[in-house]
Amino acid sequence: MFLRQLQNELWKLFGKKRTYIGFAMFLLAQNAIILMFRFTNATRPMKRLLESNGYFAQDFVSTLTISTVMVILLAVTLLPLYVALVGGDQVAKEAEDGTLRMILSRPVSRTRLLLVKWLAGVVFSIVLVLALGVFGLAFTRIWFPGGSLFVFIPGEVFGVFDASTGLARYAEAHLIMVAKAVTVFTLAFMLSCFNMKPAAATILALSFFLINRILEEIPYFKEYEQWFVTYHLDVWRWVFIQHIPWWQMAQSLFILLGFNVTFLTIGATVFHVRDIKS
Amino acid sequence: MISLRNVTKFFGKRLAVDALSLAVPRGEIYGLLGHNGAGKSTAIGMMLGQVWPTQGELFICGHDITTRRQRALQKVGAIFESPVFYDYLSGWRNLHILSTYTAPTSAARIREVVDWVGLTGREHSKVRTYSHGMRARLALAQALLPAPELLILDEPSDGLDPEGIHEMRQTILRLHREMGLTILLSSHLLNEVEHLCTRIAVLNRGRKVFEGTLADARQRQRWVRLRTSDFAVAVRELRAAGLVQDERDGRLVEPVEGVGTDALVRKLVELGLPVFEITPEEETLETFYLRLMRENPAEPPTDGSAHPAPQSPPATRP
Repeated sequence: MFLRQLQNELWKLFGKKRTYIGFAMFLLAQNAIILMFRFTNATRPMKRLLESNGYFAQDFVSTLTISTVMVILLAVTLLPLYVALVGGDQVAKEAEDGTLRMILSRPVSRTRLLLVKWLAGVVFSIVLVLALGVFGLAFTRIWFPGGSLFVFIPGEVFGVFDASTGLARYAEAHLIMVAKAVTVFTLAFMLSCFNMKPAAATILALSFFLINRILEEIPYFKEYEQWFVTYHLDVWRWVFIQHIPWWQMAQSLFILLGFNVTFLTIGATVFHVRDIKS
Repeated sequence: MISLRNVTKFFGKRLAVDALSLAVPRGEIYGLLGHNGAGKSTAIGMMLGQVWPTQGELFICGHDITTRRQRALQKVGAIFESPVFYDYLSGWRNLHILSTYTAPTSAARIREVVDWVGLTGREHSKVRTYSHGMRARLALAQALLPAPELLILDEPSDGLDPEGIHEMRQTILRLHREMGLTILLSSHLLNEVEHLCTRIAVLNRGRKVFEGTLADARQRQRWVRLRTSDFAVAVRELRAAGLVQDERDGRLVEPVEGVGTDALVRKLVELGLPVFEITPEEETLETFYLRLMRENPAEPPTDGSAHPAPQSPPATRP
């Protein structure tokens, strides 16, 4: 019965047009970036950097490298926006529309309903991250050749990998990025359980992460960067470090797990005690 | 089927339902009557476990709704005013979604219910293409899916055109007749309640001001319509004789307890006043309701300090 409820929740979620905004915008943004790289001299600084480090640059101007450049940017900007949009809708939109009242006239516990909705959101987060990765590779492949992977994030990552290792790292990064997407989704979902408009839940969730990002980016706070959730949200980027700091990454993932459990518990408690009115 | 004992609900400091006690026996069509904001929807919300009572006990189908919600709602169907669905999905998919929150429901059962409410042929169309009447039928279908014993209808005729109201009324009567359902319906449409209900409760500002059968409501006052050559003189003389205690509208008198129309006629004939007509006046639900509202005027919004604790249930009439 639980699986049927989850299946129906997915029907509801993927039956809505607004669910696809994220996918559509990824397509748009990725193709814009790809075309910029293809028809301008934007790859020149990348080549210079590689050659100054003794690498044959042409091998690295590849599908994997351009896809990774896009992912690094889109995962910071657009991904949180779209998972927060869906998370903010999950409960608040149904409460606003009145369909929640219809469901809650049925003998289903609020906790179970919330769990089903949360899991549907987790599935959405996974699909969106998957789309980000696959779309990136697929569209970049149209304009760029296959080849090695070069990743450069100033002050954080300088990685060069052959094609097969690069592809594995690319896949692993997306796997860990799911933790980021789910965390952002869960915060928006928690806020959605309060008596507020869906847009308010989305905006509040995004504001929370933006404030964390601002605090993290202030140079004077550098030694406290681990205090901010955004630091842990971006651990997927460490997959591109030559020697992956697995232990540090595991610690950050546990912290994200803690955030998720806390958000979900608060959301469930609020949802349980609140009155559902027309 | 439904039992509310001293149920009170505050939203913040605002008192929405005040020490409400109700009992809806099996097989009744029970009307919850009151103007907008009287507390009907809040009371229904509490019956369905959607709104938590501040105080009091609610039993649905013998189970405490606050502690055993799943058991209590197992055989309950509900419809709300202006039925809403997932517009971007088909009627069938909506029914399937809602049914999974009760119990596994076969396609055959969904088809049976769709047929019963007269949606066959349109069940696979998106709900956004449905008319208001079709949405009302879909709402009914979702309520009937779990084969309920109790149907709770919150303003079921709201927003329907006269034809839709008539259709809804016939459907409710049919449900009661053919399936033997107990039905609780809330409405501010007196005509609707008068046509459907066997028993009513009237709410005003969250308080129950009447509970009883429609017959009780109609016969609560013993007004007598009197047509004579001089109504004012007749009333004065009847009052002087201690036979009448009140008069209104220049045509109605209220005899003193125990005094029948025969005594009034006898007295008037003695006085030489011709009696053209004398007949017991039966109140309509509308006049009864309006009088109830006059007798129980709306108080200003109550806050916690002005109304510190729920009192025992108000005395109900009769």
